[in-house]
Amino acid sequence: MHDAMANDSSVSASARDFAKKRRVNRSAKLKQCKLDARREQWLSQVKGKSCKVTPMASPPTSSSPPVPMPRPQSCLHDSDMVFASHSPTSNSPGKPPKVGCCPNNSVSSGGSTRSCSLSASDGEEEGARGEENSAIDDWETIADALSAYKVNDGCHPSCDTRGPFVESRVPPAPVNDSGTRSTMNPEPTRTIPRAWRPDDEFRPQSLPNLYKQQSFPANMERHFGAKGWSHPAILSAPSSCPICYEDLDPTDSSFLPCSCGFRLCLFCHKRILEADGRCPGCRKQYSPVEGEMLGMSGVKPLLPFQLSRSYSMGSRS
Amino acid sequence: MLDVSRVQKELAECNKDKAISGVSINLHRGDDLSHLEGTISGPVGTPYEGGTFRIDVRLPSGYPFEPPKMQFVTKVWHPNISSQNGAICLDILKDQWSPALTLKTALLSLQALLSAPEPDDPQDAVVAQQYLRNHPTFVATAQYWTEAFAKRTSVGIEEKVQKLVEMGFPEALVKSTLDSVNGDENMALEKLCSS
Repeated sequence: MHDAMANDSSVSASARDFAKKRRVNRSAKLKQCKLDARREQWLSQVKGKSCKVTPMASPPTSSSPPVPMPRPQSCLHDSDMVFASHSPTSNSPGKPPKVGCCPNNSVSSGGSTRSCSLSASDGEEEGARGEENSAIDDWETIADALSAYKVNDGCHPSCDTRGPFVESRVPPAPVNDSGTRSTMNPEPTRTIPRAWRPDDEFRPQSLPNLYKQQSFPANMERHFGAKGWSHPAILSAPSSCPICYEDLDPTDSSFLPCSCGFRLCLFCHKRILEADGRCPGCRKQYSPVEGEMLGMSGVKPLLPFQLSRSYSMGSRS
Repeated sequence: MLDVSRVQKELAECNKDKAISGVSINLHRGDDLSHLEGTISGPVGTPYEGGTFRIDVRLPSGYPFEPPKMQFVTKVWHPNISSQNGAICLDILKDQWSPALTLKTALLSLQALLSAPEPDDPQDAVVAQQYLRNHPTFVATAQYWTEAFAKRTSVGIEEKVQKLVEMGFPEALVKSTLDSVNGDENMALEKLCSS
Protein backbone atom coordinates (compact mmCIF):
# COMPACT_ATOMS: atom_id res chain seq x y z
CA MET A 1 0.00 0.00 0.00
CA HIS A 2 2.66 2.46 0.99
CA ASP A 3 4.84 1.41 -1.83
CA ALA A 4 2.08 2.04 -4.27
CA MET A 5 1.55 5.46 -2.81
CA ALA A 6 5.20 6.31 -3.08
CA ASN A 7 5.30 5.17 -6.66
CA ASP A 8 2.31 7.18 -7.61
CA SER A 9 3.56 10.32 -6.00
CA SER A 10 6.93 9.96 -7.67
CA VAL A 11 5.21 9.43 -10.97
CA SER A 12 3.13 12.52 -10.59
CA ALA A 13 6.16 14.46 -9.46
CA SER A 14 8.11 13.42 -12.50
CA ALA A 15 5.15 14.31 -14.61
CA ARG A 16 5.22 17.76 -13.10
CA ASP A 17 8.90 18.19 -13.83
CA PHE A 18 8.39 17.02 -17.32
CA ALA A 19 5.63 19.50 -17.79
CA LYS A 20 7.78 22.32 -16.53
CA LYS A 21 10.46 21.50 -19.03
CA ARG A 22 7.95 21.42 -21.79
CA ARG A 23 6.29 24.59 -20.71
CA VAL A 24 8.87 26.61 -22.61
CA ASN A 25 7.89 25.01 -25.83
CA ARG A 26 4.31 25.96 -25.67
CA SER A 27 3.01 27.43 -28.84
CA ALA A 28 -0.03 28.82 -30.46
CA LYS A 29 -0.60 25.43 -31.91
CA LEU A 30 -1.07 24.06 -28.46
CA LYS A 31 -3.60 26.72 -27.70
CA GLN A 32 -5.43 25.98 -30.86
CA CYS A 33 -5.49 22.34 -30.02
CA LYS A 34 -6.96 23.03 -26.66
CA LEU A 35 -9.61 25.23 -28.04
CA ASP A 36 -10.54 22.62 -30.57
CA ALA A 37 -10.58 20.02 -27.89
CA ARG A 38 -12.77 22.09 -25.71
CA ARG A 39 -15.26 22.66 -28.50
CA GLU A 40 -15.35 18.99 -29.28
CA GLN A 41 -15.82 18.18 -25.68
CA TRP A 42 -18.57 20.67 -25.23
CA LEU A 43 -20.39 19.39 -28.28
CA SER A 44 -20.23 15.83 -27.12
CA GLN A 45 -21.39 16.74 -23.67
CA VAL A 46 -24.35 18.63 -24.97
CA LYS A 47 -25.13 15.60 -27.03
CA GLY A 48 -25.00 13.57 -23.84
CA LYS A 49 -27.49 15.93 -22.15
CA SER A 50 -24.99 17.06 -19.60
CA CYS A 51 -26.71 19.75 -17.62
CA LYS A 52 -23.68 20.70 -15.61
CA VAL A 53 -21.64 21.73 -18.57
CA THR A 54 -24.29 23.58 -20.47
CA PRO A 55 -23.92 26.88 -18.60
CA MET A 56 -20.23 26.70 -19.31
CA ALA A 57 -20.91 26.75 -22.97
CA SER A 58 -21.63 30.45 -23.09
CA PRO A 59 -18.18 31.64 -22.03
CA PRO A 60 -16.30 32.11 -25.24
CA THR A 61 -13.91 29.33 -26.02
CA SER A 62 -11.32 31.77 -27.16
CA SER A 63 -10.78 33.39 -23.81
CA SER A 64 -10.78 30.33 -21.63
CA PRO A 65 -7.47 28.84 -20.58
CA PRO A 66 -6.98 25.11 -20.94
CA VAL A 67 -8.88 24.49 -17.77
CA PRO A 68 -11.72 22.42 -19.17
CA MET A 69 -9.31 19.95 -20.61
CA PRO A 70 -8.70 18.13 -17.41
CA ARG A 71 -12.30 17.21 -16.95
CA PRO A 72 -12.70 14.23 -19.18
CA GLN A 73 -9.16 13.22 -18.44
CA SER A 74 -9.56 13.43 -14.75
CA CYS A 75 -12.57 11.19 -14.80
CA LEU A 76 -10.97 8.30 -16.50
CA HIS A 77 -12.75 5.07 -15.97
CA ASP A 78 -10.86 1.88 -16.22
CA SER A 79 -11.86 1.58 -19.80
CA ASP A 80 -10.81 5.14 -20.47
CA MET A 81 -7.51 4.50 -18.89
CA VAL A 82 -6.87 1.65 -21.22
CA PHE A 83 -7.67 3.93 -24.04
CA ALA A 84 -5.51 6.71 -22.74
CA SER A 85 -2.54 4.49 -22.26
CA HIS A 86 -2.89 3.29 -25.81
CA SER A 87 -3.39 6.67 -27.35
CA PRO A 88 0.24 7.83 -27.21
CA THR A 89 1.30 5.04 -29.47
CA SER A 90 -1.57 5.42 -31.84
CA ASN A 91 -1.25 9.17 -32.10
CA SER A 92 1.47 10.46 -34.29
CA PRO A 93 3.32 13.34 -32.58
CA GLY A 94 2.13 15.97 -34.93
CA LYS A 95 -1.47 14.97 -34.84
CA PRO A 96 -3.79 17.01 -32.70
CA PRO A 97 -4.50 15.04 -29.58
CA LYS A 98 -8.09 16.10 -29.27
CA VAL A 99 -9.27 13.23 -31.38
CA GLY A 100 -7.74 10.69 -29.09
CA CYS A 101 -8.37 12.57 -25.95
CA CYS A 102 -11.46 14.54 -25.28
CA PRO A 103 -14.43 13.53 -27.33
CA ASN A 104 -14.07 9.85 -26.91
CA ASN A 105 -13.60 10.10 -23.24
CA SER A 106 -16.41 12.44 -22.64
CA VAL A 107 -18.74 10.34 -24.70
CA SER A 108 -17.85 7.08 -23.12
CA SER A 109 -17.89 8.34 -19.58
CA GLY A 110 -20.52 10.98 -19.54
CA GLY A 111 -21.57 10.31 -15.99
CA SER A 112 -18.22 10.67 -14.45
CA THR A 113 -17.47 13.72 -16.52
CA ARG A 114 -20.34 15.48 -14.93
CA SER A 115 -19.34 14.46 -11.48
CA CYS A 116 -15.89 15.74 -12.11
CA SER A 117 -17.05 19.12 -13.13
CA LEU A 118 -18.82 19.18 -9.81
CA SER A 119 -16.13 17.91 -7.60
CA ALA A 120 -12.76 18.69 -8.97
CA SER A 121 -12.39 21.58 -11.28
CA ASP A 122 -14.94 24.15 -10.14
CA GLY A 123 -12.81 25.93 -7.61
CA GLU A 124 -9.86 25.79 -9.81
CA GLU A 125 -11.72 27.43 -12.60
CA GLU A 126 -12.43 30.41 -10.39
CA GLY A 127 -8.75 30.87 -9.91
CA ALA A 128 -7.88 30.27 -13.47
CA ARG A 129 -10.59 32.36 -15.01
CA GLY A 130 -9.02 35.54 -13.78
CA GLU A 131 -5.78 34.79 -15.51
CA GLU A 132 -5.47 35.49 -19.19
CA ASN A 133 -3.83 33.30 -21.73
CA SER A 134 -0.60 35.13 -21.27
CA ALA A 135 -0.30 33.92 -17.74
CA ILE A 136 -0.30 30.21 -18.26
CA ASP A 137 2.57 29.67 -15.87
CA ASP A 138 0.76 31.56 -13.17
CA TRP A 139 -2.30 29.55 -13.83
CA GLU A 140 -0.39 26.38 -13.25
CA THR A 141 1.07 27.75 -10.08
CA ILE A 142 -2.36 28.56 -8.84
CA ALA A 143 -3.59 25.14 -9.79
CA ASP A 144 -0.72 23.65 -7.83
CA ALA A 145 -1.55 25.68 -4.81
CA LEU A 146 -5.21 24.85 -5.09
CA SER A 147 -4.59 21.20 -5.40
CA ALA A 148 -2.29 21.23 -2.43
CA TYR A 149 -4.91 23.13 -0.51
CA LYS A 150 -7.52 20.59 -1.39
CA VAL A 151 -5.36 17.73 -0.34
CA ASN A 152 -4.68 19.23 3.02
CA ASP A 153 -8.12 20.53 3.58
CA GLY A 154 -11.19 18.45 3.25
CA CYS A 155 -9.82 14.97 3.41
CA HIS A 156 -10.53 12.39 6.04
CA PRO A 157 -7.95 9.75 6.69
CA SER A 158 -9.92 7.54 4.40
CA CYS A 159 -9.28 9.93 1.53
CA ASP A 160 -5.58 9.52 1.96
CA THR A 161 -5.92 5.86 1.42
CA ARG A 162 -7.96 6.37 -1.65
CA GLY A 163 -5.66 8.99 -3.05
CA PRO A 164 -3.39 6.58 -4.89
CA PHE A 165 -6.29 5.32 -6.89
CA VAL A 166 -6.90 8.75 -8.31
CA GLU A 167 -3.28 9.51 -8.88
CA SER A 168 -2.70 6.21 -10.52
CA ARG A 169 -4.70 7.37 -13.48
CA VAL A 170 -2.04 9.87 -14.36
CA PRO A 171 0.78 7.67 -15.62
CA PRO A 172 -0.30 7.78 -19.27
CA ALA A 173 0.73 11.41 -19.39
CA PRO A 174 4.50 11.26 -18.87
CA VAL A 175 4.78 8.36 -21.25
CA ASN A 176 3.44 10.51 -23.99
CA ASP A 177 5.72 11.40 -26.84
CA SER A 178 3.54 14.09 -28.30
CA GLY A 179 4.72 17.51 -27.21
CA THR A 180 1.27 18.94 -27.24
CA ARG A 181 -0.25 16.23 -25.19
CA SER A 182 2.47 16.06 -22.66
CA THR A 183 1.97 19.69 -21.82
CA MET A 184 -1.69 19.17 -21.35
CA ASN A 185 -1.85 15.88 -19.63
CA PRO A 186 -0.08 16.75 -16.43
CA GLU A 187 -2.90 19.08 -15.64
CA PRO A 188 -5.23 16.38 -14.38
CA THR A 189 -2.56 15.51 -11.91
CA ARG A 190 -3.18 18.71 -10.12
CA THR A 191 -6.83 19.11 -10.71
CA ILE A 192 -7.92 16.00 -8.88
CA PRO A 193 -5.79 15.25 -5.92
CA ARG A 194 -9.04 15.13 -4.05
CA ALA A 195 -10.23 11.59 -3.64
CA TRP A 196 -13.68 10.27 -4.26
CA ARG A 197 -15.90 10.49 -1.29
CA PRO A 198 -18.07 7.48 -0.53
CA ASP A 199 -21.17 9.61 -1.01
CA ASP A 200 -20.13 11.02 -4.36
CA GLU A 201 -22.96 10.39 -6.71
CA PHE A 202 -20.77 9.33 -9.58
CA ARG A 203 -18.11 7.59 -7.65
CA PRO A 204 -16.87 4.76 -9.87
CA GLN A 205 -18.02 1.43 -8.62
CA SER A 206 -14.65 -0.03 -9.38
CA LEU A 207 -13.16 1.86 -6.47
CA PRO A 208 -12.76 -0.36 -3.44
CA ASN A 209 -15.13 0.18 -0.61
CA LEU A 210 -13.00 1.27 2.25
CA TYR A 211 -15.54 0.66 4.93
CA LYS A 212 -15.63 -2.96 3.96
CA GLN A 213 -11.90 -3.17 4.33
CA GLN A 214 -11.90 -1.49 7.68
CA SER A 215 -14.41 -3.93 9.05
CA PHE A 216 -12.50 -6.90 7.71
CA PRO A 217 -10.84 -7.96 10.97
CA ALA A 218 -14.14 -7.76 12.76
CA ASN A 219 -15.69 -10.00 10.16
CA MET A 220 -12.88 -12.45 10.57
CA GLU A 221 -13.42 -12.58 14.27
CA ARG A 222 -17.10 -13.20 13.83
CA HIS A 223 -16.42 -15.83 11.25
CA PHE A 224 -13.99 -17.65 13.44
CA GLY A 225 -16.20 -17.31 16.45
CA ALA A 226 -18.89 -19.16 14.59
CA LYS A 227 -16.59 -22.11 14.09
CA GLY A 228 -18.09 -24.70 16.36
CA TRP A 229 -15.60 -26.29 18.61
CA SER A 230 -12.55 -24.10 18.43
CA HIS A 231 -12.47 -21.73 21.34
CA PRO A 232 -12.51 -18.02 20.53
CA ALA A 233 -9.70 -17.41 23.00
CA ILE A 234 -7.41 -19.59 20.92
CA LEU A 235 -8.14 -17.49 17.90
CA SER A 236 -7.68 -14.06 19.36
CA ALA A 237 -4.65 -14.27 21.62
CA PRO A 238 -3.73 -17.57 23.14
CA SER A 239 -1.02 -17.28 25.76
CA SER A 240 0.18 -20.82 25.28
CA CYS A 241 0.39 -23.24 22.40
CA PRO A 242 -2.67 -25.48 22.44
CA ILE A 243 -0.55 -28.40 21.27
CA CYS A 244 2.47 -28.42 23.54
CA TYR A 245 1.05 -26.09 26.23
CA GLU A 246 4.24 -24.05 26.22
CA ASP A 247 3.98 -20.28 26.36
CA LEU A 248 3.89 -18.54 23.02
CA ASP A 249 6.66 -16.02 22.43
CA PRO A 250 5.99 -12.91 20.34
CA THR A 251 7.11 -14.68 17.20
CA ASP A 252 4.69 -17.49 17.78
CA SER A 253 1.93 -15.08 18.63
CA SER A 254 2.20 -13.40 15.24
CA PHE A 255 2.24 -16.74 13.48
CA LEU A 256 -1.03 -17.51 11.74
CA PRO A 257 -0.48 -20.54 9.54
CA CYS A 258 -4.07 -21.35 8.65
CA SER A 259 -6.97 -19.27 7.45
CA CYS A 260 -9.15 -20.88 10.10
CA GLY A 261 -7.25 -18.80 12.63
CA PHE A 262 -5.87 -21.67 14.67
CA ARG A 263 -2.61 -20.60 16.26
CA LEU A 264 0.19 -22.75 17.47
CA CYS A 265 3.88 -22.47 18.10
CA LEU A 266 6.43 -22.83 15.34
CA PHE A 267 7.80 -26.06 16.72
CA CYS A 268 4.46 -27.80 16.70
CA HIS A 269 3.70 -26.40 13.27
CA LYS A 270 6.93 -27.80 11.92
CA ARG A 271 6.22 -31.11 13.55
CA ILE A 272 2.80 -31.26 11.91
CA LEU A 273 4.20 -30.35 8.52
CA GLU A 274 6.61 -33.24 8.83
CA ALA A 275 3.66 -35.56 9.42
CA ASP A 276 0.29 -35.24 7.71
CA GLY A 277 0.41 -31.44 7.48
CA ARG A 278 -3.16 -30.80 8.54
CA CYS A 279 -4.21 -27.86 10.67
CA PRO A 280 -5.19 -29.10 14.14
CA GLY A 281 -7.97 -26.56 14.26
CA CYS A 282 -9.87 -27.37 11.07
CA ARG A 283 -8.18 -30.61 9.92
CA LYS A 284 -7.62 -29.06 6.50
CA GLN A 285 -4.29 -29.38 4.79
CA TYR A 286 -1.96 -26.50 5.42
CA SER A 287 -1.47 -24.48 2.25
CA PRO A 288 0.49 -26.50 -0.32
CA VAL A 289 3.00 -23.70 -0.80
CA GLU A 290 4.25 -24.13 2.70
CA GLY A 291 4.30 -27.87 2.34
CA GLU A 292 6.43 -27.75 -0.78
CA MET A 293 8.83 -25.31 0.75
CA LEU A 294 9.30 -27.54 3.70
CA GLY A 295 9.83 -30.47 1.43
CA MET A 296 12.64 -28.72 -0.42
CA SER A 297 14.71 -27.96 2.61
CA GLY A 298 14.43 -28.19 6.32
CA VAL A 299 15.33 -24.55 6.93
CA LYS A 300 12.29 -23.22 5.19
CA PRO A 301 9.69 -23.12 7.96
CA LEU A 302 10.81 -19.55 8.53
CA LEU A 303 9.33 -18.51 5.23
CA PRO A 304 5.77 -19.54 5.95
CA PHE A 305 6.14 -17.63 9.13
CA GLN A 306 7.17 -14.48 7.30
CA LEU A 307 4.37 -14.81 4.83
CA SER A 308 1.79 -15.34 7.43
CA ARG A 309 3.10 -12.56 9.55
CA SER A 310 2.78 -10.06 6.76
CA TYR A 311 -0.67 -11.41 6.12
CA SER A 312 -1.76 -10.97 9.69
CA MET A 313 -0.38 -7.46 9.77
CA GLY A 314 -2.24 -6.63 6.64
CA SER A 315 -5.48 -7.90 7.98
CA ARG A 316 -5.11 -6.00 11.21
CA SER A 317 -4.22 -2.60 9.87
CA MET B 1 9.81 -38.36 23.16
CA LEU B 2 6.42 -38.22 24.78
CA ASP B 3 5.44 -34.67 25.65
CA VAL B 4 5.57 -35.19 29.39
CA SER B 5 4.70 -31.67 30.41
CA ARG B 6 1.61 -31.66 28.25
CA VAL B 7 0.40 -34.98 29.66
CA GLN B 8 0.94 -33.81 33.22
CA LYS B 9 -0.96 -30.64 32.55
CA GLU B 10 -3.72 -32.60 30.88
CA LEU B 11 -4.06 -34.87 33.89
CA ALA B 12 -4.34 -31.93 36.24
CA GLU B 13 -6.72 -30.14 33.92
CA CYS B 14 -8.99 -33.12 33.40
CA ASN B 15 -9.30 -34.04 37.03
CA LYS B 16 -10.04 -30.49 38.11
CA ASP B 17 -13.70 -30.75 37.21
CA LYS B 18 -14.24 -34.48 37.02
CA ALA B 19 -17.31 -34.26 39.24
CA ILE B 20 -18.99 -32.07 36.62
CA SER B 21 -17.63 -33.56 33.42
CA GLY B 22 -18.03 -37.17 34.50
CA VAL B 23 -14.63 -38.11 33.10
CA SER B 24 -11.34 -38.49 34.89
CA ILE B 25 -7.94 -39.85 34.07
CA ASN B 26 -5.15 -41.15 36.26
CA LEU B 27 -1.88 -42.93 35.99
CA HIS B 28 -2.49 -46.59 35.50
CA ARG B 29 0.29 -47.67 37.75
CA GLY B 30 3.50 -46.22 39.05
CA ASP B 31 4.73 -43.14 37.30
CA ASP B 32 4.51 -44.26 33.71
CA LEU B 33 2.95 -41.32 31.93
CA SER B 34 2.41 -43.33 28.77
CA HIS B 35 -0.02 -45.75 30.41
CA LEU B 36 -3.10 -44.16 31.91
CA GLU B 37 -6.54 -45.16 32.92
CA GLY B 38 -9.58 -43.07 32.23
CA THR B 39 -13.04 -43.41 33.68
CA ILE B 40 -16.29 -42.12 32.30
CA SER B 41 -19.69 -42.22 33.90
CA GLY B 42 -22.54 -43.66 31.87
CA PRO B 43 -24.67 -40.92 30.35
CA VAL B 44 -28.02 -40.30 31.98
CA GLY B 45 -30.99 -41.59 29.99
CA THR B 46 -29.06 -44.44 28.36
CA PRO B 47 -28.72 -48.12 29.25
CA TYR B 48 -25.31 -47.17 30.60
CA GLU B 49 -26.65 -44.78 33.21
CA GLY B 50 -25.20 -45.32 36.64
CA GLY B 51 -22.21 -47.28 35.40
CA THR B 52 -18.60 -46.24 35.66
CA PHE B 53 -16.57 -47.38 32.70
CA ARG B 54 -12.83 -47.75 32.83
CA ILE B 55 -10.73 -47.18 29.78
CA ASP B 56 -7.19 -48.23 29.24
CA VAL B 57 -5.21 -45.36 27.71
CA ARG B 58 -1.81 -45.80 26.15
CA LEU B 59 0.02 -42.82 24.80
CA PRO B 60 2.29 -43.44 21.82
CA SER B 61 5.61 -41.63 21.77
CA GLY B 62 4.24 -39.30 19.14
CA TYR B 63 1.41 -38.07 21.34
CA PRO B 64 -0.18 -35.54 20.93
CA PHE B 65 0.62 -35.71 17.23
CA GLU B 66 -0.58 -39.29 17.19
CA PRO B 67 -3.87 -40.36 18.76
CA PRO B 68 -3.93 -42.08 22.14
CA LYS B 69 -4.79 -45.76 22.07
CA MET B 70 -7.96 -46.31 24.04
CA GLN B 71 -9.79 -49.49 24.90
CA PHE B 72 -12.64 -50.24 27.25
CA VAL B 73 -11.53 -52.27 30.22
CA THR B 74 -15.04 -52.48 31.59
CA LYS B 75 -17.20 -54.76 29.52
CA VAL B 76 -19.85 -52.82 27.66
CA TRP B 77 -22.65 -53.77 25.27
CA HIS B 78 -22.47 -51.21 22.49
CA PRO B 79 -22.48 -51.41 18.68
CA ASN B 80 -19.24 -49.45 18.36
CA ILE B 81 -17.35 -51.16 21.17
CA SER B 82 -16.18 -54.73 20.97
CA SER B 83 -17.98 -56.90 23.50
CA GLN B 84 -14.94 -59.19 23.41
CA ASN B 85 -11.97 -56.93 23.98
CA GLY B 86 -13.35 -53.42 24.40
CA ALA B 87 -11.86 -52.06 21.16
CA ILE B 88 -13.41 -48.79 20.17
CA CYS B 89 -14.50 -47.65 16.72
CA LEU B 90 -14.30 -43.89 16.82
CA ASP B 91 -12.87 -41.69 14.11
CA ILE B 92 -11.16 -39.19 16.37
CA LEU B 93 -9.10 -42.02 17.81
CA LYS B 94 -7.94 -42.87 14.32
CA ASP B 95 -7.68 -40.68 11.24
CA GLN B 96 -9.66 -37.76 12.63
CA TRP B 97 -7.41 -37.22 15.61
CA SER B 98 -6.08 -33.72 15.98
CA PRO B 99 -3.28 -32.59 18.28
CA ALA B 100 -5.66 -29.91 19.47
CA LEU B 101 -7.75 -32.63 21.09
CA THR B 102 -6.89 -33.81 24.57
CA LEU B 103 -7.36 -36.90 26.67
CA LYS B 104 -10.29 -35.18 28.28
CA THR B 105 -11.99 -34.35 25.00
CA ALA B 106 -11.35 -37.88 23.79
CA LEU B 107 -12.97 -39.32 26.91
CA LEU B 108 -15.87 -36.93 26.53
CA SER B 109 -16.21 -38.15 22.95
CA LEU B 110 -16.42 -41.71 24.25
CA GLN B 111 -19.12 -40.60 26.64
CA ALA B 112 -20.97 -39.09 23.69
CA LEU B 113 -20.50 -42.32 21.78
CA LEU B 114 -22.29 -44.19 24.58
CA SER B 115 -25.20 -41.77 24.17
CA ALA B 116 -25.29 -41.98 20.40
CA PRO B 117 -24.35 -45.38 18.96
CA GLU B 118 -23.56 -45.60 15.25
CA PRO B 119 -24.84 -49.06 14.28
CA ASP B 120 -24.10 -48.36 10.60
CA ASP B 121 -20.40 -48.25 11.33
CA PRO B 122 -20.12 -51.03 13.88
CA GLN B 123 -17.21 -52.42 15.78
CA ASP B 124 -19.24 -55.37 17.10
CA ALA B 125 -21.46 -56.77 14.37
CA VAL B 126 -23.56 -58.88 16.72
CA VAL B 127 -24.42 -55.94 18.94
CA ALA B 128 -25.09 -53.76 15.91
CA GLN B 129 -27.49 -56.34 14.46
CA GLN B 130 -29.33 -56.55 17.73
CA TYR B 131 -29.43 -52.77 18.04
CA LEU B 132 -31.05 -52.49 14.61
CA ARG B 133 -33.37 -55.50 14.60
CA ASN B 134 -34.29 -56.04 18.22
CA HIS B 135 -33.82 -52.80 20.01
CA PRO B 136 -35.62 -53.71 23.28
CA THR B 137 -33.35 -56.70 23.70
CA PHE B 138 -30.34 -54.53 22.99
CA VAL B 139 -31.40 -52.06 25.69
CA ALA B 140 -32.00 -54.86 28.18
CA THR B 141 -28.65 -56.48 27.45
CA ALA B 142 -26.79 -53.20 27.69
CA GLN B 143 -28.48 -52.46 31.02
CA TYR B 144 -27.60 -55.89 32.30
CA TRP B 145 -23.97 -55.50 31.32
CA THR B 146 -23.86 -52.11 32.93
CA GLU B 147 -25.32 -53.54 36.10
CA ALA B 148 -23.01 -56.54 36.06
CA PHE B 149 -19.71 -54.98 35.04
CA ALA B 150 -19.84 -51.21 35.45
CA LYS B 151 -21.38 -50.76 38.89
CA ARG B 152 -18.74 -51.99 41.21
CA THR B 153 -18.41 -49.40 43.87
CA SER B 154 -15.21 -48.82 45.71
CA VAL B 155 -16.96 -50.16 48.80
CA GLY B 156 -17.46 -53.41 46.93
CA ILE B 157 -13.79 -53.59 46.15
CA GLU B 158 -12.91 -52.94 49.76
CA GLU B 159 -15.17 -55.79 50.78
CA LYS B 160 -13.52 -58.15 48.30
CA VAL B 161 -10.08 -57.13 49.45
CA GLN B 162 -11.18 -57.69 53.03
CA LYS B 163 -12.52 -61.15 52.14
CA LEU B 164 -9.36 -62.23 50.36
CA VAL B 165 -7.11 -60.84 53.04
CA GLU B 166 -9.08 -62.86 55.56
CA MET B 167 -8.31 -65.94 53.45
CA GLY B 168 -4.66 -65.28 54.24
CA PHE B 169 -3.32 -63.39 51.23
CA PRO B 170 -1.23 -60.24 51.76
CA GLU B 171 -3.29 -57.08 51.27
CA ALA B 172 -0.97 -55.47 48.70
CA LEU B 173 -0.98 -58.59 46.56
CA VAL B 174 -4.76 -58.91 46.82
CA LYS B 175 -5.23 -55.32 45.70
CA SER B 176 -2.95 -55.58 42.71
CA THR B 177 -4.43 -58.91 41.70
CA LEU B 178 -7.98 -57.62 41.95
CA ASP B 179 -6.91 -54.64 39.93
CA SER B 180 -5.41 -56.78 37.19
CA VAL B 181 -8.62 -58.77 36.74
CA ASN B 182 -10.86 -55.72 36.94
CA GLY B 183 -12.21 -56.57 40.36
CA ASP B 184 -13.47 -60.02 39.51
CA GLU B 185 -13.35 -61.76 42.89
CA ASN B 186 -13.28 -65.33 41.59
CA MET B 187 -10.62 -64.70 39.00
CA ALA B 188 -8.51 -62.93 41.59
CA LEU B 189 -8.81 -65.89 43.91
CA GLU B 190 -7.80 -68.21 41.11
CA LYS B 191 -4.82 -66.10 40.29
CA LEU B 192 -3.78 -65.76 43.91
CA CYS B 193 -3.99 -69.52 44.38
CA SER B 194 -2.06 -70.32 41.25
CA SER B 195 0.73 -67.84 41.93
